Amino acid sequence: MRLKPGEQPTRRLAHLWNEAACIGCAACVISCTATNNPEMLYRADEGRGGVASNIRRYEGVTAQGRPTLLLNQCAHCDEAPCMKTCPFGAVYRDENGLVRLDSRRCAGCRYCVTSCPYNARWVHPDTGLPMKCMGRGCLALVAAGQKPACVQACPANARDFGDLNDPESSVSRTLRTKRHRTLLPNSGAKPKYFIVEEV
Amino acid sequence: MSELPPLVFQAPVADWGWQIAWFFWFVAIGGGLAVAYWQVRRAAVAFTVFVATALGLLLVFFHLGRWWNMPLVLWELIRAGEFNLGSWMFLGVIILTVHLLLGALAAYAHAEDVGIYPPFGDRVREMTEGALFRGVFAANGVLSVVYSGFLLTQAHGIPLWGTALIPILWLISSAVAAVAVLELFYVLGLVDERVSVAGMKLALGLDALKLIAVLAFLHVSLTAMSAAARAGAEELVSGSLAWLTWGGVIGLGLAVPILLAALMLRYGKSKGLIAVSAVSSLAGVLFLRASVLLAGAWEPLLG
Ligand code: SF4
Ligand code: SF4
Ligand code: SF4
Repeated sequence: MRLKPGEQPTRRLAHLWNEAACIGCAACVISCTATNNPEMLYRADEGRGGVASNIRRYEGVTAQGRPTLLLNQCAHCDEAPCMKTCPFGAVYRDENGLVRLDSRRCAGCRYCVTSCPYNARWVHPDTGLPMKCMGRGCLALVAAGQKPACVQACPANARDFGDLNDPESSVSRTLRTKRHRTLLPNSGAKPKYFIVEEV
Repeated sequence: MSELPPLVFQAPVADWGWQIAWFFWFVAIGGGLAVAYWQVRRAAVAFTVFVATALGLLLVFFHLGRWWNMPLVLWELIRAGEFNLGSWMFLGVIILTVHLLLGALAAYAHAEDVGIYPPFGDRVREMTEGALFRGVFAANGVLSVVYSGFLLTQAHGIPLWGTALIPILWLISSAVAAVAVLELFYVLGLVDERVSVAGMKLALGLDALKLIAVLAFLHVSLTAMSAAARAGAEELVSGSLAWLTWGGVIGLGLAVPILLAALMLRYGKSKGLIAVSAVSSLAGVLFLRASVLLAGAWEPLLG
């Protein structure tokens, strides 16, 4: 359900990825595509390169020469720039605090793509829609009371998803007890994708 | 040069590249000439505003990845009665549509100059000659150029674009484009010499302003906090886009017109040189927009 301007979501669903626990197997990346965009399983995301998934994998080397890995996805930002810039109001927030897309209102201008500080969107080659977390498959899972595909697929329990408004949810408890960060904290977008730094 | 993490440029992902640069270019011409129309009420000016705005809108419409969905988009907007007035793109659609209509009115008023006598031509002409119409036309011209700059500054994913220098640069270069078109009109015999003489001196001043604004933009970006802005600027100065900056923006867009203007001020005017200078300026205005677009990248998340 689309929230009206000024209306607050009842839940604030958020993702959490534990970089210290992650073994880099990419099961989440593939399960995301298989669940939400199975037609893209054997096709690359030509714009960004690599698998067409709502989770993006970045590899690098730290200043100390250690290999490092980052998995990123839409942070369902509380102050989402993509929502503010979409000329036709196709990007909206739902009652769960998730940033969603109404494809009927999308003209494919890709302003939301350039507005996202996290480069979280990719453009579907067939529909022209700006894709990101959450896809339809995961929305159905969440509506059925299950965890999304990436959380279910992770063999290392490095992922979680839950309600920040509920102090007893597993994500709230982890964030209370473990060191964590968000990406580009000064972006002004108030992202809700948390990277936990300790197991 | 500093060590920077690898970047993801926006053009391969969002596809805001040459087609959007052409769109901005047409907006610059349509906007700048609407301001010139305050003084230079000629058919060629009115027709060019209309055609440039129409071409710009057509280009941006067919750049939409889902242009065929526009009827449904409009229907949904009207049905829900919700309009995102906070989006520069939405405001831009309105501003450019108004500009197209004003351009059409101005062109209609000049139809008899080209041997067409449409109904109510006299009345439309009377209206478009008034200060109110010319003022609104000029103001909307400025607005359409400013919009095309703020469109970029609002794209928060691309730090290179997050500077108020872009709308300023767009405004100055739009004035450069308008003067260049007037110079071409003079060469073609569509406006008289008085306009052209004023134009050459004005063009020199505008070129100097544009040079300062381009250098300021590069300097601000090269010294920005954001790694993506710095890397984008380095691409423009010494990387894969340096040919656009030095050859297109500075060389064709500024050095050639300044040199030719200096020559003509010294040795007298030549229609051939005026034409070369004007075309060169116009190319520079396009290259400026393309270079800023193509250098846009996301802030690296790793490193
Ligand atoms: S929640 Fe679903 S759509 Fe989002 S990243 Fe995980 S698998 Fe992909
Ligand atoms: S991460 Fe990007 S796409 Fe997701 S809500 Fe924030 S701005 Fe929008
Ligand atoms: S691509 Fe669609 S959702 Fe994104 S800003 Fe444009 S109209 Fe809105």
